[in-house]
Amino acid sequence: MSYTPRERVLAAMNLQKPDRVPLMCQFSIGSMMQQLKPSPAEFWYDGDVFASGLVELCKRFKFDGILVSLHGHSPGWRDNIVSFNKLEEGKQEIVFTDRSEFHSWTDLPMVKYFNKPVHKGIDEIDVENDVPGVIDYIPVSQDLYFKIDKDHPFDIFLKLKEMVGSEYSIHGEITSPFDYLLDLLGYEQALISLILNPEKCKEILQKFTNGITVLAKEMCKYPIDAVKISSPFAGMGFISPEHYSEFVLPYESQFIKEIRNCGKHVYIHTCGHIDDRLELMQQSGASGLECLDPEPVGNVDLEDAFKRIGSKMFIKGNIDSINSLLYADDAKAERDILKIIETGKRGGGFILSTACSIAPMVSSERLDMLPELIKKAGRY
Amino acid sequence: MEDFIGRISISIQKGKVDINSPYPPDMKGQPGAFELTGEALENGVSANDILTKAMIPAMGIVGDLFKDKKLFVPQVLMCAKAMNSAMSHLKPYFSSGEICKRGTFVIGTVSGDLHDIGKNLVSMMIEGSGWTVVDLGVDVKTEKFLEAIGDNPGCILGMSALLTTTMESMEKSVRTLREVYPSQKIIVGGAPLNNEFAHRIGADLFAPNPQIAVEFINSL
Repeated sequence: MSYTPRERVLAAMNLQKPDRVPLMCQFSIGSMMQQLKPSPAEFWYDGDVFASGLVELCKRFKFDGILVSLHGHSPGWRDNIVSFNKLEEGKQEIVFTDRSEFHSWTDLPMVKYFNKPVHKGIDEIDVENDVPGVIDYIPVSQDLYFKIDKDHPFDIFLKLKEMVGSEYSIHGEITSPFDYLLDLLGYEQALISLILNPEKCKEILQKFTNGITVLAKEMCKYPIDAVKISSPFAGMGFISPEHYSEFVLPYESQFIKEIRNCGKHVYIHTCGHIDDRLELMQQSGASGLECLDPEPVGNVDLEDAFKRIGSKMFIKGNIDSINSLLYADDAKAERDILKIIETGKRGGGFILSTACSIAPMVSSERLDMLPELIKKAGRY
Repeated sequence: MEDFIGRISISIQKGKVDINSPYPPDMKGQPGAFELTGEALENGVSANDILTKAMIPAMGIVGDLFKDKKLFVPQVLMCAKAMNSAMSHLKPYFSSGEICKRGTFVIGTVSGDLHDIGKNLVSMMIEGSGWTVVDLGVDVKTEKFLEAIGDNPGCILGMSALLTTTMESMEKSVRTLREVYPSQKIIVGGAPLNNEFAHRIGADLFAPNPQIAVEFINSL
């Protein structure tokens, strides 16, 4: 029986085995830029340009699904620009009234605020006024935000649906309340606050969770098959399993339940070392896990992960984008990927993917290996 | 004296900053590193003993526990706060020359990279092992690293990169620094790095965690 790309991904997320292992990596913004060489600022801000890029890359590398890592593009993004300067090829500087942004083909935009607001301390935070009730931004990276246009929060999913119909599995992305907390207080201050003022942290987390739940439920009304939860700070590199149980799990579980009630799949993306908390992550009720970085970036053994959680969760991973794709020679890359395909096939629901996003400088030739190796070894 | 040394050490290891700190819960209401260090000095314990027998070994234990993933970032940050509170009593002794730092460690996140939590953790642990830390911040250009090395002869340099794309900046900086200062000791760190990369670009050490950096610079 032959599957469409979308059916293949859906089967894996339903813990079934389709015709072959599905392939669906998440591109970093830098990786998309490197492959497409677009106008970098337009690629970041313009929903049409971004959607076209996602579809182009999905088709070019024969992926079975599209992850939409940014949503809420504003058609009026140019309105507040003070100046737009084209620098050398692939580099642009945009100046807004409050900040300058450097966009390039290399990686995420770099933002410099003219008067960077100082983070309030945990005791100074007024939950009512300082924590937004409506989530209208994505904390993409340190000092980098993507504003969600309240009038166009999910237009991109409609654009994609128009472009690819039901051929590919489309996934949305939301960010964990834990990330919003870290962003609100500053990373170090937030992590200390987990210890010094845990109750206030929980109040803040709950308010963020309420807003994120609304956002997630709205997103589920659009033509997507799954929601990815971006939760990069919830691993062993930052917090203990006890803190995970206290400050991450109870909050992510709330909107995971709502997403599942909407009939959509949901999977958690936590980078790095997570071997000590796979079962805790399963308790969230999520239908899948993403990343599961192997050594040395993380510490997850794929076979062991399937044994521990594979009967209840699908796994999307776990190619080391740095050591198996970016810096490996062809022989090592092929060896590593084939091993993951073989292990994944023996497991339950499995989607072949890079653990974390595809690193920007991974070559197109290396990405072409992925569908080739699936063709060679990925049939069930 | 032993009693003070032991208690200061425990306070730092447990992240007990001062008497008002609610952390750790089992030490609530008890004096922390700040009070104990002040009291120890008043009772004739030498600043040097406090530094070398209590504070530095305590941070070493913290570093080992973090390396083994038995302590996590929030706890380590509290330990560093406790260390700093104790250190505030020792400042006059450093100024007078009665006690000395082991040397100077210059650190920065490389050009194009704004991430600082890894850099900050390394800074805290190295400062806690008795070094003066000059933190150049994030998005540090090669010229700034060169200037800092010139201003701090004999320093050890640490460079951090969290992104695969900024590893390229790191490589460029290290190669340029090597041309000007061939024998400069350089430690690099960051999630996407590894030993092979560090060796290829000419760094002396890849530190996968702060404690490896501490052990390296203390061995020089």
